[in-house]
Amino acid sequence: MSALVEVRGMHFRYGKVRDHSTPWTLTDLSLDIRADSTLGIVGESGSGKSTLIRVLSGLLHHQQGSVMFDGRDLNDWLAKSPKDLRRRNQIVFQSPRRSLDPRMNIGRSLSQPVRALEQRKPTKAEMTEWLARVGLGNEILPRFPHQLSGGQLQRVGIARALSVGPDVLYADEPVSALDVSVQAQVLNLLMDVRAQLGLTLVMVSHDLGVVSRLCEEVIVLKNGVVVEAGRTADVLANPHDPYTVSLVAAARTVSLT
Amino acid sequence: MLEVRDLSVTIGRHEIVRIDALDIPAGGRLGLVGESGSGKTMTAMSIVGLLPFGARVTGSIMFEGRELLGRSDVEMSRVRGADIGVVFQDPSRALNPMMRIGKQVSEAVRLHMKLSRAETRERVIGLLHQVQLPQPEELLRRYPHQLSGGQQQRVLIAIAIACDPKLLIADEPTTALDVTVQEEILRLLVHLSEERSMGLLFVSHDLGVVRFVCDHVAVVYGGNLVEVGPTDDVVERSQHRYTSALLAANPGIPASDEIEQYVGRRLTVIRGSVPALGDFPAGCRFRNRCDAATDSCGESPPTTTLDGEHRYRCWNPVGRSVDVGTR
Repeated sequence: MSALVEVRGMHFRYGKVRDHSTPWTLTDLSLDIRADSTLGIVGESGSGKSTLIRVLSGLLHHQQGSVMFDGRDLNDWLAKSPKDLRRRNQIVFQSPRRSLDPRMNIGRSLSQPVRALEQRKPTKAEMTEWLARVGLGNEILPRFPHQLSGGQLQRVGIARALSVGPDVLYADEPVSALDVSVQAQVLNLLMDVRAQLGLTLVMVSHDLGVVSRLCEEVIVLKNGVVVEAGRTADVLANPHDPYTVSLVAAARTVSLT
Repeated sequence: MLEVRDLSVTIGRHEIVRIDALDIPAGGRLGLVGESGSGKTMTAMSIVGLLPFGARVTGSIMFEGRELLGRSDVEMSRVRGADIGVVFQDPSRALNPMMRIGKQVSEAVRLHMKLSRAETRERVIGLLHQVQLPQPEELLRRYPHQLSGGQQQRVLIAIAIACDPKLLIADEPTTALDVTVQEEILRLLVHLSEERSMGLLFVSHDLGVVRFVCDHVAVVYGGNLVEVGPTDDVVERSQHRYTSALLAANPGIPASDEIEQYVGRRLTVIRGSVPALGDFPAGCRFRNRCDAATDSCGESPPTTTLDGEHRYRCWNPVGRSVDVGTR
């Protein structure tokens, strides 16, 4: 069975198309993401973690190599049916406060993906159902982001991403802006919706503990290159690349378990 | 060395910190752990008089037998830097972007010590050396943006220890850093504290980090001290329901024999979220999120001493069985 996402020799740099002076942010990347799998992306800041999921979800355009989504080239998707691509690939961002428009009430923010991708206004019943899926009540629909807690806002972000029925959910550091006592709720929620909806989950995190809970497989990025990839359990138990070794060791020194 | 008694910090109508007792012996390392809004930073900053305008502080903060509360701004600025050093969270914002590293470090030295230009330079190089920065002479001429986050934090630590303070306050010093860099900075702080027998007040939201650095830990929630004691003791035999819930909610790195079962295992959850300022319940601040809360939790819980240094304030501690069904 071929993978849902297939990346072969992909290069990406920020800057203009024919700009050859800027160094690559991602260099010669190859990886497969199977449908219904869970992949963690770890690495230091500036390693290209967030850039990678933005390329995979079609928000940024790679310059070289190929990225296939469901057997079709990503550039072809973007040229012919960008809305279908976006419907099937959704992102949850790091800071829930910054990823929701402060001037829009929650109902309006929540309805944006369906408005944009299906050209219709979702009913209140639909929105109630989306909120219920993430453990929120519909009384928050008329409220504004500043009236909600960080945990509630991140749930709204997840509900919004799920509203269009994606195949892949990309999560960019989904809990790093949250309090420790709220973090576990959101992680459990991600586990639950993933299992219920049969989603493919691709999660960027700097926290190896979070990745080891949620992700079957992991890739380690350093300076835009994949330095290690494999089952999370194997990588944690037996890291090979020197950077991965130091990362696992550093994470263990401050781990409570 | 540091004795805090009946500390209360009030802003407007809200009392945001209420701590009956907190001590750091000379050379001791105390971790102040709490989530956002717990009052941990306010507690730390009240010691050095760096609170927002309008904050009212009462109680007593004794530092080496001297009362710090009620001192004038001029007196406090003499205490800061000379007696107590401070390291802030985000190194890129704490350094002046327009000023060379050498000048920023020497400023801290010259402010509190009367040294000649050559002596100052020598001391600055020595400080950069002590925080384990390579090629200090060359570094003097650099600007902050030419340094990595870890190097910037080392420079800030150099500034904070410039006048050999007896106490260093570090407020989330590694939150903005990568995990591998974090470990280096934490090791440096422990090393400096041991070498100079300098006390450390380490403010953090991360109990794991605190356990690595500190011999003692104080857990705060809603501005109240809920549990305090030797770090290993508090982590391994936590009594307060908040401490134990916080420990259980932490994902952690699996031990090698349970790695295989780790993926997909649900985390233990603390329900609800940290209330906004002024929305905390009376009595035990944690009771509206606590699974073991009973009617008595409406009253402020007494301080119980487990053995010697390990104290907690909880009506239904972990060690005591509670019939959750009857609440």
